[in-house]
Amino acid sequence: MVLDEEAMHAMREVYLDYQSSKPVDPRVIDEMTPYFHDLFGNPSSLHKVGDVATEALEQSRKRIAKFVNADDDEIVFTSGATESSNMALIGYAVKNKKKGNHIVISEVEHISIHNIAKYLVSLGFEVSTVPVDQYGRVRVDKLERRLTDKTILISVGYASNEIGTVQPIAEIGKLARERNIAFHTDAVAAEGLIELDVEHDNIDLMTLSSNDIYGPKGVGVLYMRKGYRINPLIIGGGQERGLRSGTENIPGIVGMSAAADIMGKEMLSEVERFKGYRNKAIRHILEDVPDSHLNGHPTERLANNAHFRFDGIEGEGMLLSLKDLGVSVSTGSACTSKTLEPSHTLIATGLVHEEAHGSLQLTCGRFNIDSDINRVIETIPQIVARLRSLSPIYSARRR
Amino acid sequence: MKSTQYSKKVLDHFRNPRNVGTLEGDDVAVGKVGNPVCGDLMEVFIKVKDDRIVDAKFKTFGCGSAIATSSMTTELVKGMTLDQAMQVTRENVASELEGLPPIKMHCSNLAADALHEAIKKYRAKMQGEEAPEEGAEAAPAECAIGKDEYLGKGVYLAVTNPEEFKEKRVLVVHTGDKSIETAIQLTENSGRVVLLTPDMEIETSKKLRDDLDASGVKVLYQSKLLEIRGQDEVEKVLVHNLNEDEKYELFVDAVVLME
Repeated sequence: MVLDEEAMHAMREVYLDYQSSKPVDPRVIDEMTPYFHDLFGNPSSLHKVGDVATEALEQSRKRIAKFVNADDDEIVFTSGATESSNMALIGYAVKNKKKGNHIVISEVEHISIHNIAKYLVSLGFEVSTVPVDQYGRVRVDKLERRLTDKTILISVGYASNEIGTVQPIAEIGKLARERNIAFHTDAVAAEGLIELDVEHDNIDLMTLSSNDIYGPKGVGVLYMRKGYRINPLIIGGGQERGLRSGTENIPGIVGMSAAADIMGKEMLSEVERFKGYRNKAIRHILEDVPDSHLNGHPTERLANNAHFRFDGIEGEGMLLSLKDLGVSVSTGSACTSKTLEPSHTLIATGLVHEEAHGSLQLTCGRFNIDSDINRVIETIPQIVARLRSLSPIYSARRR
Repeated sequence: MKSTQYSKKVLDHFRNPRNVGTLEGDDVAVGKVGNPVCGDLMEVFIKVKDDRIVDAKFKTFGCGSAIATSSMTTELVKGMTLDQAMQVTRENVASELEGLPPIKMHCSNLAADALHEAIKKYRAKMQGEEAPEEGAEAAPAECAIGKDEYLGKGVYLAVTNPEEFKEKRVLVVHTGDKSIETAIQLTENSGRVVLLTPDMEIETSKKLRDDLDASGVKVLYQSKLLEIRGQDEVEKVLVHNLNEDEKYELFVDAVVLME
């Protein structure tokens, strides 16, 4: 029996949580494959097999450098974004503590940055946290007011991985440069959606992940501007100029660079397609669902991110209902988190707990098709209505 | 175990909850419990005849397990005597649902507590006692720490120029009808307006009440402003939720404290 196209789409699993994980692009897998068996060398070896691996490593470095407008020797390969951010914050702070002990981050950083900052406090550093406006955008005037002559590092994520708000990175970079303070940005949420340019934005340290550009997991990059110094966190055989020891993960590194290469060529058209999906979802859901709101900035937001909140209901119920219909999404609800705390990002925008609980995050990506967006637009209004019919808060509000 | 890894039975009660709704009448009592940290609020209604629960209904705001445990609790207690129903525990409810993820056992498994409260309320009612009054007396707004320090730096005693509040998140402390009118007026310019009141309901004219409902002002009931915080200007406030006796920070750009 041949299913017609409509039936095929009805059965298709719809994935709208690209922010959490992305499939590796098959073209990336093709480039990686030879490096598992045929070209398996260790770049530290001096023989021919080792030379092939060295060549792959250095070509990959060039491709990543090009992707962010950096020089080859400013790229350090790591095991992923979390390691890169640990190196940038802990490595830089410890190395430069003679200059000062003060670090500034924002309220809407990825949880990893908040936890690294807490660790730095335990080491004796002082951390200031800059508030954001109602859209989750860092207020640069407030950031400036927090800088002291002891400030050595500013870390503000390029864009929020939750609500998709893009930060005024160039403005912060300029301020940091003027004040002679190192500027780190976790660019994971933005990479592949916004052109990254460390020169234009005056970025000194930058966290990148491979999976977020459809490369394999387990690889990342720390961009570090020439002339800056960090203490390595992993000590060993002195790979990556001693900054990150351990035999290089050549298949992974080749994969990440292939992903960056593809992204460099395809990003602009891909982003236009995502914007179409995003704008359609935002338009329909805000129109079709009463008492629904958009979280994050109306225009300064990632092309693939639509983040809603619905009065009177809780996000996990929406997530489970969509799961039943074969649709994968994320929520800002505490009930799906490890700590049972609601999203710190939503709270920072000025929401109270009960509002943060009613949030739903849709992030699209390379392998979505038009019908995926139609599926969620059609189903969300019904799901919200059903959960509201159970909710004491919503009925109370309408009374 | 993932927090959303639910048993088949939990998912069934989430997808097809039993006994959704409310009950009314002299033989009805309602128990309300909630934990805003986890984001759950439950109301369990019982209808009693000859000391036996003849009907039970619920309304729940909460995650999947909150809805499922409410549904199961109302299902379990129908036909029980009040004494029997008092013996129903969270653990009973969880085991009837073939278990809950450990992290959900205490936060979203509150329906048994709501049931017990409903029974207590019913018994009190039968003995002619008024249910204990919830909520607290209105506390004067000037108690807030930082009011004087931030005056002119985000704290306003009156709103003369609404333009000043453009794109700002404003907290208005409920001090009477004038403050409600101000809150409604501010929604025209401001990014967000929160009205804070220590009471359970806002007592005002029907018209103002309707205008408030239609305005988009976020009303926080049973809440008191404790402290204004920020570096050089208002950046956040410390709010006391009187119902839960919990304190939390709310990010705002301005505070309106009218006399």
